Amino acid sequence: MESQRLLSSKGTVQTPDESFEEDWAEESTGSSYYSDSDSTIPDWEPYIDDSSGELLYIDCHPFVTHNKDHIKLDSKSEPFSKTQLRKSTRGKFLRLIRRKESSRRSKKALRPTEEGSEINTQKVKFQDFQEGEQKIVTLEIDSENRYNLSSDKSLAESLLGLIVSTLSDGNRVMIAGFSYDSKAKHERNIKIGDWLKSINNMDVNVQNLDDILQKFINHSEVLLTLQRVAATEVTKDPPINELSVESDFVRELLNTNEDDENLSEKLCSHPLGVIFLDTDKCNEANEDILYFYPKPLKKNILSICRGVFITLNHLLQDLTDTKPRTSSILHKGRLAHIVYTQFEKHLLLYMLPDDLASIKEIVLMNRELINFLEFLYGDLERCFTKNCNFKRLDWLFFRYFARIVNGNKWATTKQFLERIGNPERIFDRTDSFFEELMPVVPTLSLHDDALMQIDDALAELEASDYREWNEDPLDCQRLFTILGSALFHSGYLLASHMIHEDLVEVYNFCKQQGLVHLSRTEPVKSLVMWREVFPRSCRRNCGNDSLNAPDGSRYLLVVGSGKDFLATIMEAGGCTEPPEENMGPDAFYVEEAQATLAHVQELGLSVVAQRCLLANGGYEVAAPTPSPNKRKNDFIGALNFSKPTSPMVLRDSPGSTKKNEVTSILKRRNVEQHLSQEEAYDLYSEESGSQAYSETSDDSGSRRTRQKYDSNDEESDLDEFGGSSQISGSSFDVSEVRQALLSDLGEYTPAQITTGPHNVLYHFVHLDLTEGVLIGPVECSTLSQTYDVILNNFKKCCQNIHGIFQNTLRFKNMSAQEIAKSLMNKSLIAIKEYGTLFECPFLDEKDKKGRVSYWVVGRLFYMPHPKEVYVCYQDSVPQNVVELAFKISLYNKV
Amino acid sequence: MSAYIMGVTSNGGIPVFSRKKGNCDNLSFSTLGSLNGVHMFGKPSNIELLDTVSDDHAVAWKEFCESLVIIGVASGCSVDVLNRLLQLVYDAVVLIVGINEVKTQRNIERLKRELRICFPVIDRLLDSLDCGDSSNKHSSDIVGYAETVLCPENHLIQIVLDSFTECVDSMFSCILVNGKIAVATENWWSLHIHEIRLLLLLAVTENKDISKDIPVFLPYKSPTVAFRFVACSLISDVQVCCLCGSTPALVNIEQAAAQCFKNSTDILKSASQCVPRNFPNTMVVDSGILGLLLVNIKRKKYMMSKNPQQNSGRKMSSSSHRLDILRTFFYQAIMNTLIPNSKTWQENNVSEDLKTDKLALDESTEGMESYWCSEYHKCHGIKVCDNILCVLYSSATPTYAMRLISKQTLNLLISDKQVCW
Repeated sequence: MESQRLLSSKGTVQTPDESFEEDWAEESTGSSYYSDSDSTIPDWEPYIDDSSGELLYIDCHPFVTHNKDHIKLDSKSEPFSKTQLRKSTRGKFLRLIRRKESSRRSKKALRPTEEGSEINTQKVKFQDFQEGEQKIVTLEIDSENRYNLSSDKSLAESLLGLIVSTLSDGNRVMIAGFSYDSKAKHERNIKIGDWLKSINNMDVNVQNLDDILQKFINHSEVLLTLQRVAATEVTKDPPINELSVESDFVRELLNTNEDDENLSEKLCSHPLGVIFLDTDKCNEANEDILYFYPKPLKKNILSICRGVFITLNHLLQDLTDTKPRTSSILHKGRLAHIVYTQFEKHLLLYMLPDDLASIKEIVLMNRELINFLEFLYGDLERCFTKNCNFKRLDWLFFRYFARIVNGNKWATTKQFLERIGNPERIFDRTDSFFEELMPVVPTLSLHDDALMQIDDALAELEASDYREWNEDPLDCQRLFTILGSALFHSGYLLASHMIHEDLVEVYNFCKQQGLVHLSRTEPVKSLVMWREVFPRSCRRNCGNDSLNAPDGSRYLLVVGSGKDFLATIMEAGGCTEPPEENMGPDAFYVEEAQATLAHVQELGLSVVAQRCLLANGGYEVAAPTPSPNKRKNDFIGALNFSKPTSPMVLRDSPGSTKKNEVTSILKRRNVEQHLSQEEAYDLYSEESGSQAYSETSDDSGSRRTRQKYDSNDEESDLDEFGGSSQISGSSFDVSEVRQALLSDLGEYTPAQITTGPHNVLYHFVHLDLTEGVLIGPVECSTLSQTYDVILNNFKKCCQNIHGIFQNTLRFKNMSAQEIAKSLMNKSLIAIKEYGTLFECPFLDEKDKKGRVSYWVVGRLFYMPHPKEVYVCYQDSVPQNVVELAFKISLYNKV
Repeated sequence: MSAYIMGVTSNGGIPVFSRKKGNCDNLSFSTLGSLNGVHMFGKPSNIELLDTVSDDHAVAWKEFCESLVIIGVASGCSVDVLNRLLQLVYDAVVLIVGINEVKTQRNIERLKRELRICFPVIDRLLDSLDCGDSSNKHSSDIVGYAETVLCPENHLIQIVLDSFTECVDSMFSCILVNGKIAVATENWWSLHIHEIRLLLLLAVTENKDISKDIPVFLPYKSPTVAFRFVACSLISDVQVCCLCGSTPALVNIEQAAAQCFKNSTDILKSASQCVPRNFPNTMVVDSGILGLLLVNIKRKKYMMSKNPQQNSGRKMSSSSHRLDILRTFFYQAIMNTLIPNSKTWQENNVSEDLKTDKLALDESTEGMESYWCSEYHKCHGIKVCDNILCVLYSSATPTYAMRLISKQTLNLLISDKQVCW
């Protein structure tokens, strides 16, 4: 059996003495899991890499392509597969350990309704279904909607909460989705794509479905017979409905070891690549090349002309006492830039063509890449000298460059081949990037209550206080200390308990691994990622020798569900059990993290975050409009600017209606990606109604009994504290908290930051490089062409401004001696604000001619620590950037 | 600060000339060889090295006509400016020896000898690098632009110049006041700006007070056929320059100049009083203004003033740094954003269809204004039609007021017809 095999492979975890297994299992926290050979294995268990202990497991919502509505519905409807999550835990914990789960987690396990559902749950997976698996499900008829038969809902939808369509033969009824308030959705045996065979043993087809349903309109329950349809049959007719378990993107994410020489060779035709050189070794037999990509060597531009860069690296240090940073070359008429990074005797060269990234972007991308590799491997020498890494690195770099060739958008191999096969498209000028490449984490600022709830949940996870789980004192050591955790929604940080520098690296890791993209585009059912990492805070402490004999190892655990993911850095060693080689994830900790995430979602925080996203991160952004007075070339016209030019004519002029206007623009932007606010709200309030109340009563009951058991006063104090922090007072009430959080709608009316009667703000970026925090309106693809032009130019301009500010920061950090020696341009040493006024034609409406003029202004603050604010606003009322920056900070709560 | 510029033949790697600026050692032969070597190395594999940037230094390579590689090393300035300079240096070489000599390189030793004439010009060109070093005497040099002076007498001088032009049978002539163009004929402005710039430098370097007659090739207009560039001193600091063919002789030109200008010496004298303010005393600007830079982006001419206040004569010594700030502001914030089609450093580097790098502006987006606020001062640049005015303000000037003052000042400067802007 799978678990048996694992058991032997995990021999080090397992106590050698099998006879003590029971006792041992009781004492041990995490490892006990492995002794339980016939309990359910977590879904991700088989995906662990045997040699490295790494894991990336993604369980997607199956979706029906070519049927967009249903994708949306399906992927959004399940907040978290709680039942599935808990099932495995329950099995083993209840049987083996006399343990109680912590207060907020226990309720799910103790839910009586679920006990029932669990009995008849077969483990059905899309991967392994065969034709003809038949299930009988009892479904309650929705009594409220029974007579509320509106014309836009089918009978099946209003009665059963099921959206039906036909199978490929056009006659059989297929489950195509669930309505929002459907109870059927929670029925695990009804899956999208199932064939609805009969209702109360009466065979149904498309023609008679409504007639049959009419007969049961007064029944309280019906018996549905469903049959799983073989995948082949479903996909036989793709235009109607194609069932996919995972998208191409996810498939490639999971695929870690594929490398095709052809793909690599295709990249060789472009001036891009990376090479890691040992500068001490001479060039003979290419021994100096420790690693290079793309392959093969003879076509790799960097390896061909590495001599140039090695010499330059040397020469410039002799000549000018400074190390070279970048070089530009022309390769077959294409401009490309090379970035140098020196690590003692090693030299890393990184090259990209200019049409894909400007020189400033390339420098930032190089830094990002190095941080990513250091986070994964500790240092670059280790990364590029271990032979076993090469295949993985090849694949990593292939996907990295494929993404860049695709304009820094994630691309599947197929998309990449299309792009690279089309030489015209490759020369397209791609978008500019600025904040995307900065070492910062985009942050959503939720309101205080929501933040407190998240902090509370994360703190409990981090505390790892499991005493209450076992009545007997635990005298074994823990496996891991949790160093920090951070919660993300759609790739935006909600709350972090990590050291800033680690947080930035974790985010960068998630970005480079595609997890951020995944959580933005495809909400997943479940995601588990585990691997050893080297966070900066720990890298800094250990010298070179401790890398060989590490004092401890750190692991990154990312669990995700829906659009949320929770990243946790754990440490083995130090005060916990010493780490083993290639340690795999421990089921217990994974479940703890998943439970924390589930708890946060249950509190409705992902809805709160979603709503915040819809409100553009809480900041109001205007739509570009042409300035009413045409640009005049005479002086009188030009001098008129001091008069308040009638400010942006949004389609309605009065101030009161303006706000509505803006929200509607925002909605329009988001309509394709997100549920509208109302939908999201409805969805969750429904759930709170159906489940939470029953849970709650159960929970508080069990909690009280447990408190009686507890003789430890200190702990009950803590519990009291936890309870009192909730809105409901002494008893912990999830639904009330959720209600309170969700009803707090007032917080998300977007704030107007610019002065003047109308909002003239187009975009802003608040960069805090010390804390690694990025605040800004939510990035969304707009329908406005003008806005895209403005935004693109804004980012370009920000790169320049940021470059100028670097001089100021550098000068501030110089000692008096250095200043005397320095060759810096003295005119650049104290610039703190830089603004430029641009004009571009209004492109959105053909009939409306005119030009949009807007400012791009950057401001540097260096007290208490350096921060940069970049704003883009329409030219009307003069704005004070300091004031804008103040307001941005004021509305931001992080 | 330090800057080196050197020319090496493409084929043999033989150094043709080497100039430096600042208190630095001469480059050793091996260093020069290495610098040339790295550029040569990539050629067989279709790779051309363009530039390399370190913290404070920029190195740029540029190959011209597949025969001459010019390498520049400079501290403090941007690689963009350095690249523009390399083009000018090459043009200076062509100006003296002609393009055929550069291409064929029949006699390297003779080429080296001939190039000595343009060394002062190249040295002056190096002054236009913005190293942020106040020791620079020529902080008002801007790469790729020609400096002018707005004398109130310009409209009178123009008339005399036109008659002189007829006398010497030349279409290209101009009057220089302290090495800056006061007035010039329309045809003079039709020359490429690099040609204008180099001819000006040729006129003012070495001895200003004697007449010069130098054969020159115009790098853009006539790179193979030489003209004669004649510069005669009228009074001290004022010169008249013209381009002409084999006739008339220098003596005749000097006579014509003496005849034409003998009645206008007073005008010329009062015109030369305009320096160093460089614009009429009658124009009063806001008291917060510390320096001015007026640029015409069509003709690529500019006027720069570090003493816009009438009573600021005694602060002369400290005000040289102001020009540095203005120039750096122009290079960094104006040249690539407010001036259309001046794309970026690649202008002369890359084949036509790939003219710009990614940071260059889109065609559709046009910069109109730009400003810097620093701890000690503020800079503001504004564009109206073809004119850009960059103003250096004291830090006390409110940011929002800069727009208004700049616009008024620009209006004041260019609306006066007498200065012939």
